[in-house]
Amino acid sequence: MTDPRIERLAELIVDYSLELEEGQVVRLDGLEVAAPFALALYETALEAGAHPYTRIGFSGLLEILLERGSEEQLDYISPLQWEEIEHVDALVTIWSESNTRSLSRVDPRRHARFIGSQRKLSNRRWERISNGEMRWCGTLFPTQAHAQEAEMSLSAYESFVFAACHVHEEGAAEHWRTVSRELEARAGELGSVRELRIVGPDTDLRLGVDGRSWLAADGRYNMPDGEVFTSPLETETEGEIRYTFPAIYHGREVEDVRLRFEGGRVVAAEAVHGDDYLSSLLDMDDGARVLGEVAFGLNYEIDRFTRNILFDEKIGGTMHLALGSGFPQTGGQNTSGLHWDMICDLREEGEVYADGELVWKDGRFLAEPAVEVLESGVGG
Amino acid sequence: MADPRVARLAGVLVEYSTDVRDGDLVCIDSSLAGAPLVYALYEKVLEVGGHPQLRTEVDGEAEALLDRGSSAQLEWLNPARMDEVERADVRIAIEAETNTRGLSAVDPARQARHARAREPLRKRYFERSAAGELRSVVTLYPTHAAAQDAEMALDQYEDFVYRAGLLDSDDPVSEWTALGERFVRLAGWLGAKRELRVVGDGTDLTLGVEGRTWIPCDGHENFPDGEVFTGPVETSVHGSVRFSYPAGFAGRRISGIELEFEDGEVVHAAAASGEEFLHEMLAMDDGARRVGEFSFGLNDAVGEFTGHTLFDEKIGGTVHLALGASYPESGGLNESALHWDLVCDLRSGSEVYADGEVVYRDGRFLDGVL
Repeated sequence: MTDPRIERLAELIVDYSLELEEGQVVRLDGLEVAAPFALALYETALEAGAHPYTRIGFSGLLEILLERGSEEQLDYISPLQWEEIEHVDALVTIWSESNTRSLSRVDPRRHARFIGSQRKLSNRRWERISNGEMRWCGTLFPTQAHAQEAEMSLSAYESFVFAACHVHEEGAAEHWRTVSRELEARAGELGSVRELRIVGPDTDLRLGVDGRSWLAADGRYNMPDGEVFTSPLETETEGEIRYTFPAIYHGREVEDVRLRFEGGRVVAAEAVHGDDYLSSLLDMDDGARVLGEVAFGLNYEIDRFTRNILFDEKIGGTMHLALGSGFPQTGGQNTSGLHWDMICDLREEGEVYADGELVWKDGRFLAEPAVEVLESGVGG
Repeated sequence: MADPRVARLAGVLVEYSTDVRDGDLVCIDSSLAGAPLVYALYEKVLEVGGHPQLRTEVDGEAEALLDRGSSAQLEWLNPARMDEVERADVRIAIEAETNTRGLSAVDPARQARHARAREPLRKRYFERSAAGELRSVVTLYPTHAAAQDAEMALDQYEDFVYRAGLLDSDDPVSEWTALGERFVRLAGWLGAKRELRVVGDGTDLTLGVEGRTWIPCDGHENFPDGEVFTGPVETSVHGSVRFSYPAGFAGRRISGIELEFEDGEVVHAAAASGEEFLHEMLAMDDGARRVGEFSFGLNDAVGEFTGHTLFDEKIGGTVHLALGASYPESGGLNESALHWDLVCDLRSGSEVYADGEVVYRDGRFLDGVL
């Protein structure tokens, strides 16, 4: 029997995240380990009247290309890929892996070269997404490899993933609509804040956010989701932060990262493990020392660190601050090849002040967001 | 341990069948069960400087679409597929099924509608292949499902498949090259004939082949291979034919097919089982009632019927004809969304006449012909 949670997740993505309509072309991307979920999405998209097709890759082929391909092969983007981007109305990326560490020994320069060449393609994709010409949702189907990364059994990990998406019970779309209203209200309130101050163990950091817009990540682009984020002012970050969780970039971990900011830029950085890697990433380009994102993780069904950014950045009660590129749609101006989310656990000891007023303590905002209650017609 | 024959198969497909060159865009089509061959091909294509692009389908997609799709969905032609047919330099298609009968319960009329909608794909594919713009090969990776159809254990079936591809040899490419030279001579000889008559059990069929080109098949478009075929003159086919083997098509198996032709067209069709499906296929379009291909099976390493056209049509000592589309390179003009190969065993009590003279008896061309 099919796990009903798989079908619910497929329905949630088709109906809520993508709002697929009759006649729309939707491509379903993933590796073979995600095949059962790709088929569930395919069937659900068919029911919605769309034209789905799958684009399933095999685990290990990218590794072969990165290891043995010529430079020309690494740089290659086929005309088929260019043409295809223009034709799809929606895209689902299933990020499931059969081995999360298979790229550990790849030559980083060759990997960077490949990522650089593929970026042209993903830039065009983002352009179409931002213009409202296509929809996109990134999600994950639980596999042994991800469970292993999270140090869980597969069945426990499945429960974790499906609960995070709220498909462990019926009514997921309704749940996300409620979450969406709350996050929108929270983002609206944060929009009038000029300065945030984060205080925690070895952490006292001030960020300017005056004039920046906060966005609600409510399950449209990611599933699961649950954060509000913006790009802080590029020259105003001051103070120190210590990241409780390991910071992971392209599968490599840096532990116990401490950063000191002056005038918006990292002026001192240290880590217990992976210090060299941290330094090399900070030196990647001019924008790599500047914050591109500050966000509150607000999905309280994600209650633990599982070494997967899709989940970790949304852990209820955490904040994450990303070094590198900002989000233009929030007013962010920092550009960089880097966007490195680092997560700070504020659940045990942590306070956030907005323009001097305590608004968050021990992983929770002190006041509920003022959601307009449409049902009763009473304004919030 | 990995079966060394898989890497050998990949080598033959890339270096011999499709002759992949530096910079070629190579589309590899497979279902998930073909994974071991996909990996071997991917490495081989990279090695010779090509750009491999994987195209896979998840088991169950076709069933869902054919079973539940709306008319618009059944008739949708994916522009990405069309673009592939237009732009690929090479296509390697791997059949690797996990259930060869998954479509048995599908409404044949819906199946025919789906096939008609995809006709432009097939047409461009044939055209570009005939023009030499696209090098393309179809092969099979052995699965339990295919072994089940052949009534064999998987390891026995693997032996059968790789033997048919001459992959037990240290140098399969020279074996295929030698066979190819023989087929070229036969094709040249047949090219001078005007009319063929096939006589066997329940069969007495006449076909006009004057002015048509016979194509030697030596592992470049099918692998394994072993046939010489042409497209008979569309209005010339006359008489009756009884097909010895069940015919698999689109996830079904139809057995005991008997056809009667007049002026090139099927005027009577019967089957011991699956007759309704047979009639649906014949009604697919105007060209579906005509013969698009007539061929001699010449691979003696494929000795037995295994329920898969790729092999059955190559059995040494058989002939097959296909209802529907002809291959433009043979001079055939028939157009159809259908191309359905039906195989007739001539290994006992049979003869073939060329322009009135016996040239083939009990599955062999007579001495002196070749």
